[in-house]
Order: sequence, then structure tokens, then C-alpha cells
Amino acid sequence: MRSPLPPPPPRFRAPLRAGPSAARWRWGGGGMQRAVGSLPLGPALRARLAAAGFQTAQELLDTGPCGLSREIGISKEEALEALQVVRQECSGDAARTAGGAGTTRKCTALELLEEEQAQGFIITFCSALDNILGGGVQLTKITEVCGAPGVGKTQLCMQLAVDVQIPECFGGVCGEAVFIDTEGSFMVDRVVDIAAACVQHCRLIAEAHQEEDHQKALETFSLESILSHIYYFRCRDYIELLAQVYLLPDFLSEHSKVRLVVIDGIAFPFRHDFEDLSLRTRLLNGLAQQLIIIANDHKSAVVLTNQMTTRIGQSQSTLVPALGESWGHAATVRLIFHWDKSQRLATLYKSPSQKESTIPYTITPHGFRDVQPPAVTQNTESTEMNPRKRPRREEEK
Amino acid sequence: MVVLRAGLCPGLTEEMIQVLRANSVRTVVDFVSSDLEDVSQKCSLSYKALVAVRRVLLAQFSAFPANGADLYEELKSSTAILPTGSPSLDQLLDSGLYTGEMTELMGAPGSGKTQVCLSIAASVSLGLKQHVLFLDSTGGFTASRLYQMLQAQAEDEEEQASSALQRIQVARVFDVYEMLSALQEVRDRLSQQAVSCTGPLKTVVIDSVSAVIHPLLGGRQSEGETLRWGLRLMAKCCGVSVWQVTNQVTRDSSTGLLKPALGRSWSFVPSTRVLLESKGAAWEEATTRRSASLAKSPRQPTGMQVELDIGNSDVQEPSPATPTEGL
Repeated sequence: MRSPLPPPPPRFRAPLRAGPSAARWRWGGGGMQRAVGSLPLGPALRARLAAAGFQTAQELLDTGPCGLSREIGISKEEALEALQVVRQECSGDAARTAGGAGTTRKCTALELLEEEQAQGFIITFCSALDNILGGGVQLTKITEVCGAPGVGKTQLCMQLAVDVQIPECFGGVCGEAVFIDTEGSFMVDRVVDIAAACVQHCRLIAEAHQEEDHQKALETFSLESILSHIYYFRCRDYIELLAQVYLLPDFLSEHSKVRLVVIDGIAFPFRHDFEDLSLRTRLLNGLAQQLIIIANDHKSAVVLTNQMTTRIGQSQSTLVPALGESWGHAATVRLIFHWDKSQRLATLYKSPSQKESTIPYTITPHGFRDVQPPAVTQNTESTEMNPRKRPRREEEK
Repeated sequence: MVVLRAGLCPGLTEEMIQVLRANSVRTVVDFVSSDLEDVSQKCSLSYKALVAVRRVLLAQFSAFPANGADLYEELKSSTAILPTGSPSLDQLLDSGLYTGEMTELMGAPGSGKTQVCLSIAASVSLGLKQHVLFLDSTGGFTASRLYQMLQAQAEDEEEQASSALQRIQVARVFDVYEMLSALQEVRDRLSQQAVSCTGPLKTVVIDSVSAVIHPLLGGRQSEGETLRWGLRLMAKCCGVSVWQVTNQVTRDSSTGLLKPALGRSWSFVPSTRVLLESKGAAWEEATTRRSASLAKSPRQPTGMQVELDIGNSDVQEPSPATPTEGL
């Protein structure tokens, strides 16, 4: 699992300090009074420090690495590393208290509002779904799509992987997509169909509006470029999935244009062959936190798909999303796809800013779309006669 | 356990400490609880000096008893009660959030906990013009929803709503160490500006505590304990009211009822616990009505229940005909 200790720094080459009586660093502020228990050190080290009687960060720094290694019986290199971590934490605290920028993601709500208003959405090509989501799939949030098999979750994921690449002049976010597949349900030829339909749609818009930037964007927005900007990973079990998610930040810092991370089938690797349920809950929660950090730091949307399971109640049984109650808190936005006779419906079940509602949708050869209303019978044209036109019937000869 | 150091008190010199350490007396607790005659013989130190040191150490490190009347006076003068902006929620909490105390909100996913948090932040910032710190660990903070709530309360005054937004500080902490550093920073800032009136921070809203603690439960780490201690200390010493959100996790296998996550050990941390439930039976019925019931309180009878409506631009009492305005 992700260790709380940052990767060890390279070998410390500066001369070792003389000991506890060496020059003491003077820090302003109360950051030095930080309790040892709240510093990101390993549990074994923390237990030894507590047994030796160290309580605050100040005491650790005063003792120095030699004294520390002597007191608690660790090697000098370990003591140096530990003190480096402590110093980093406390200097971070002091900078934050003094009003410096710091590394915490802190700002006022007004700044966040401006950021949110400037952010785009990833449209789904189904306008009813976009409406209930408040514009589309939101960036920096985790959206979970739950549904029974065959209802269209993977179709939506593939549609989003194409839609995230729509250029900005057509209303998209112009980003790339990462697709992590655990069930093996990603079909490239289907993505080709969806992408071709999307490019055609954009071409029609460009022809209707005839603007220069539309033409320029269309040059780069082609089938080949769409397919080459979907990064596909196949994970066969939960360990590969966890490893992939924990390695994702490095990948995303190299590919900074990624705006969508799709994990198709987060339930599948965790549902079979897992004896220890508490370990499963812990892993899932760690995964959720890691995904939130990715969504936030890289300003991308994270979309997960989940399966449904039956909860057997006293008198009846209901279909509920799988992976348990605690997983329900992981996603910020939750959509449940279900059937009503032969119509597919999408319900927005959980959202921080939109109301709960249900809309119908359909899956066409072109992808995920709205339900078309039945063709309206041609009503009689305006019955009011145009006064300048006079009936010619009698005069025609 | 504080390690004995030179200069901790007059009379405790470096040589004394070295000699004591050689005889395995390393911390204040060891010193105070050991037999001083024994120690003076083994270390060949003067008994009188040891007794003097012990007296000073006891005076420095022990707690002082206070009498009830003084405590009451102090409480009366230092505690403030912050109304939450929703009269029925205030009724549940005995007129509002008390500073120096922690209140906890629990509920199933989608029950409206983030909405209640946003509404409290909005009303404290707009109505009372106090600063609010919002620690977001789930990514659920949506500034546009908050703005919507402020606009509804501020009655079309643009500057009021935007200055209220500026008084709400949002920190995104996605892991327990970041949360602990954020709390430490709050403590430092408050202790430095003890009497200043600019930017009085009176409320800390944490959404949610269990998101950062859950990955550690069952493991061998003690950050959960440090967080508990850190939160309580901050509430008590800084005179801040803390409103935190925990999540309901498991279904009790015997009764089938939802019970709070983080277990029994966490239940001692907050002084008041409120349970938020949806009125509809399952996700098929969409409704904006919620019921809040009191699970633990030092002042009100438990089991008290009120109804809230989170669908409007505000968390309010439900009106008889649910309006379709809002979102």
C-alpha cells in the first residue's frame, strides 16, 4: 500500500552534526509543537519514539540524528531520514502559518466558484442526461455509473472517451482519455463507430456555421487522432488495478492533456475471491481517496462503473449497487441505469448540486443518444391566409 | 511522557540527567514515580536536590483542579451559540452549534450530508459574518451550489453573497496527514491571533472524517487516535465549534439497521450526533425530504426527530406542497 513515508532522499552527504548541543534552529510559530503522532512516520518508528518519551517535533529536532539513533536504537541513516521528514512537515507548517502559498489545496469559496464556472463539462450526446447532470460529466469529480448487465454502462464509457476529445470550439474540453478495463468489454470497432459519428456531427456543425477555427479544429479531429488519444490499460485482477491507479499520477504528469479516467468495472476484481471483507473495504477506500486526489490535482473527470446486487429484505428484495454501503460514499455523483419494460432509464441518485431525477435514453449504432420523440404528424399549415396571396383557383384557366 | 532534559526546571543539570539515564530514569513520569531514596543512593545525588526537582516537576506537569463555579463563569463568558440557519435543525441542536464542542452528522450515501454542511457554512458566513473553515476530503464541495444557497438567503444582494463566499476558506485534504496539518495550522493561527478581531474563525466544517480514516481502520496505525485527540483539543482550546460528517457504513447483521462507521471508539468524540435519513424507501422514489434525528446529545432527549427539505435553495422545513423550483 502507499507508505506514508515519502521516497527516501539520496544519501545525505553533508557532514553529520555534532550532537544535541549543536546549533539549534530557531523557528517562529507553533509548528514545532506538533505532536509526534501526527507526523507521517512509519508505525514502528512512531511506537519506538513514544516508548522513548518523545512527544513533540521540537524534541526530535533538538536531539539530532546521533542522539536519536542512540536513544531509540535505529541506524543513523534512518534517524536522518526521519528528521528530514519532520523538518519538511514543520517548515511546511511554518510557511502556511505565515501566510505563504504552501502545498495544501486551500482557497476561498469565491475563487473556487470562479474556477468552477470556467470549467467545462464532458457532454454525453444525450441532452437529457446532460441536463440532469448540470451540463455533462463534471471535471474534478468522481462519477459512478451503476447498472444491471447490458444496460449500457460500457457504451457510455466509450462515448465519453470519444467526447472528451471534442475541440473547445465545438463545446468540448479537448482532452485525452485513459481507459482502464477490468472486464475485457472494450470493443475497438464499436469505438470506431462512435468516433466516426462524432466527427460527422462536428463536421455538420462546422458546415452550418462556417467559422475559421471550426475548420482548423476539424483538421486535427479525425478518427485516427481520436483513437490514438485513448490510452488503454487492461487489468486482470485487483492487484493490477490498485497498482495501475497508484502509478497513474506519474502517467498523468507526463500526459498532461488527459481529462478523463475511466475504470470500466471496478466491482469485478473485488467481488470474487475476496475472503477478507475488512481488507476489501480498506483497499476500496484507499482507492477512492487516490482517485479523488487524481481528479483534483489533474483537473480530470473520473468515471467508474459498478455492478448491481440484490439486497434481500424482510418482505421484498431490491437491486442496489454492489461493493457495499461504504463504497457509496466514494463517488461524488452516482447514476443508476435500469430498465422499465423495454425502455432504458437513467436516475441521478446522488449529486452535490443537482436534484434527483430520471430520464430515458437509448443506444443507437452511433452511440449513446436521447430518445427521439415519435414523429409528429404533419399538422395543417397556418390556416390564416396570406393577404397578399389570393386564391387562384377560380382564375386559373 | 516527557523526556528529562537539561533546563526543564532549575536544579536539573546535564550531569544529573546522564546519571539518571544510566539508571533508566528517562522521563518525567519515571522520575516522579520512582523512590527517591533509592535513586539518590544508586546515583549518589543529594536527596534534597531530588526532592526539590520533583516538586517543581509536579507543579509544572500536573493538572490543576478548578472549581465548578469558576468553570461555569468561564463557560458563560466564552461559549457562543451559532444558529445553523434552519430553525428545525436549531431546535434539534438546542438552539444551534455550541463553540468548544463537536457535532457529528451521519447518513447513508445521497442522504444530504454535504447539503447540510454547505447550508451551515452559508448561514454562519452570511448571517453571522463569521469566518468558516471547510475541510473537504471527498471532493463533494460545489461552490456553485453554495452560491445558490447564499443568493437565496441574501435576497438578491450580490456583494453580500460574494463577500460571504470570501469568508469561507476551503481546504482540500484527501489524506489523514494533510488533515492533521490543516488542524495544526488552525491551532497555530488561532493561538497567535488570540485577541485580534480580524477574521475570527468560529466554525470548522469537516466533510468527511471517515473518508480519511477508513483506509486505516483495521491496520496498525494510530493516526485515527491522533485525529480524535487533535479535533477535540482544537474545539476545546480554540473556542471553535466543529461540525463533522461521518458516514454510515454497515448494516447491523442482526437488526438490519444502518449503524455509523468508525465504530464505538469514535462515538465518544463528538458531543452531539445527528442521523440524517431519506424519507423515500429506496432509490426508485426521488424525494428531497429528509428526517434528522438525534442519536446522542448532552442537552436534548435522544430520538427527537425533525424534518428537513434539502431540495430548495436552502435547507429548511418542508412546506406542505413541495415546490418544484430550485434546481
